[in-house]
Amino acid sequence: MNGIRRREVARRVFAYELNKSTYRFPREDEKSPTYVLTPLGVRVNRIFLVGALLDKEEIKPDSGIWRIRVSDPTSAVYGYVSRFQPDALESLMEIDVPELVAIVGKVRTFEVGARIFVSIRPEYIAPVESEVRDYWVYETAKHTIERIKAMEKKEDEDVKLAWQIYSPNLNEYRAVVKQALLTLKEGVVAEGEEEEEEIKEFEGEFEFEEEEWDLSDILRE
Amino acid sequence: MCSFKLFDMERIESLADQIISQFKSLGYDIDRNEVVKRLKLLIHEFKVPENEAVRTVRNWIIKEYDIPREKIIAEAPLVKIKDITKPGQWVSLKAKVVQIWDSSSPSVSQVGLIGDETGIIKFVIWAKSGKGEVEEGKCYLFRNVVTDSFQGRMQINVGRTSEIIEIDEDIPLPPREIEVVGALVAIQQNSGLIQRCEVCHRVMTKGICPIHGKVRGYDDLRIKGVLDDGENIYEIILNEDNIKELTGIDLQKAKQIASERLDRNAVLSELKKMLLGRYFKVVGVRGGRYLLGRSVEKIEGVNEEEIDRLLEVLT
Repeated sequence: MNGIRRREVARRVFAYELNKSTYRFPREDEKSPTYVLTPLGVRVNRIFLVGALLDKEEIKPDSGIWRIRVSDPTSAVYGYVSRFQPDALESLMEIDVPELVAIVGKVRTFEVGARIFVSIRPEYIAPVESEVRDYWVYETAKHTIERIKAMEKKEDEDVKLAWQIYSPNLNEYRAVVKQALLTLKEGVVAEGEEEEEEIKEFEGEFEFEEEEWDLSDILRE
Repeated sequence: MCSFKLFDMERIESLADQIISQFKSLGYDIDRNEVVKRLKLLIHEFKVPENEAVRTVRNWIIKEYDIPREKIIAEAPLVKIKDITKPGQWVSLKAKVVQIWDSSSPSVSQVGLIGDETGIIKFVIWAKSGKGEVEEGKCYLFRNVVTDSFQGRMQINVGRTSEIIEIDEDIPLPPREIEVVGALVAIQQNSGLIQRCEVCHRVMTKGICPIHGKVRGYDDLRIKGVLDDGENIYEIILNEDNIKELTGIDLQKAKQIASERLDRNAVLSELKKMLLGRYFKVVGVRGGRYLLGRSVEKIEGVNEEEIDRLLEVLT
């Protein structure tokens, strides 16, 4: 009906929940936006994330495609930036890692064998102050708690689908949110021992196969 | 997007009936066969979109039956903004002009938002209408305007047969102000240090006013942006005062940045660096996707009690 689509809301999702998202909604046509369903039943296209930019690395020399890794208190997530995202690329070039950043970006998925991975295609990357990160953690915790409540009610269609696909352990997510919130309390740092282990494993797999992937889908508009 | 449908005679019949009943209510009996024939020609043969076909047939009837324009528009009932839900209706409404935007199109004389106690809606005064300009903060009777839907949202169009009459009445805006805390996730290109036309105050592009061409302009500072709270998006406009309060950059400083870097766009980059990805609390009136901010402040961190409250929910 309408030629121009409404701007997508940027969802607040911890990297932990995002990384566990493996379901992509079938697209109506070429131009319709990509939506990923998270284990707590929210449909995500755009995301707003505040965390530490840990690495930036050109995937091949002179390819102009940069892989970034950003971590919030719960986990790390990968992103790809190329010349198709000029604003993001410009600010990325000016940032020395590690740095606290806010990212507005689209969620992309790619398949490796039978597994689906989530990555972020930033539209904008901005170095920010720690207060912004604090508010983001608080806000994302609040939204995640709302999603957990919705999962308990099992009313919404997307929530039902999330139960069907992921059958998540809600206590696991409660624990993750709790841990993230505790990092906001003075003197408490993220534990994340197990998490790190998991990330390393993930990274190994990631680098191994990357060369063979067709990244065009992740990068292009 | 285009959608393709199979030719549907029933649809044409029902469109014809709609048109005929509209004119019947005005006291005109229209030849149904003629209407059907014309609709069929336009939709079936010429592949004209339905709404254009209906409009064309209506205009033809008005001419053919010599129906005075006043007769058609005299019907336009006085409505409240919340009742405007369908496109293509003739209505009249009393409203206050709450915001005037820059029109980049020469065919648009003015565009912005008007409001009454039930809501806020976008208005467009077409240049062709030849109607006088409205002023922010003043109240008017908008007579015989047409409702329209643009990008999925309702608006009213002021055309040739419309009237804008200033009224000595203070139309209140929706009583409930809302408070939104969200992240500024986008800033539009025509933000930063801009130039406005001296005559009409529209934003100029490369020294050219969309209406007055190459005229003198004056500098101004503004931001058109998108505030996103994770559930909804709100389009907001920050003026020079807001920007100064949030960034310390006023018009003077903006000009200084521009002349030092020999680039007016440097101001926009600077403002983006300071504002994008940050959280703001905006208090104001919401109308559709627009948020008319009365106050804008930056969020600095979270208070401990809020965190404790969430932690309690988790245990």
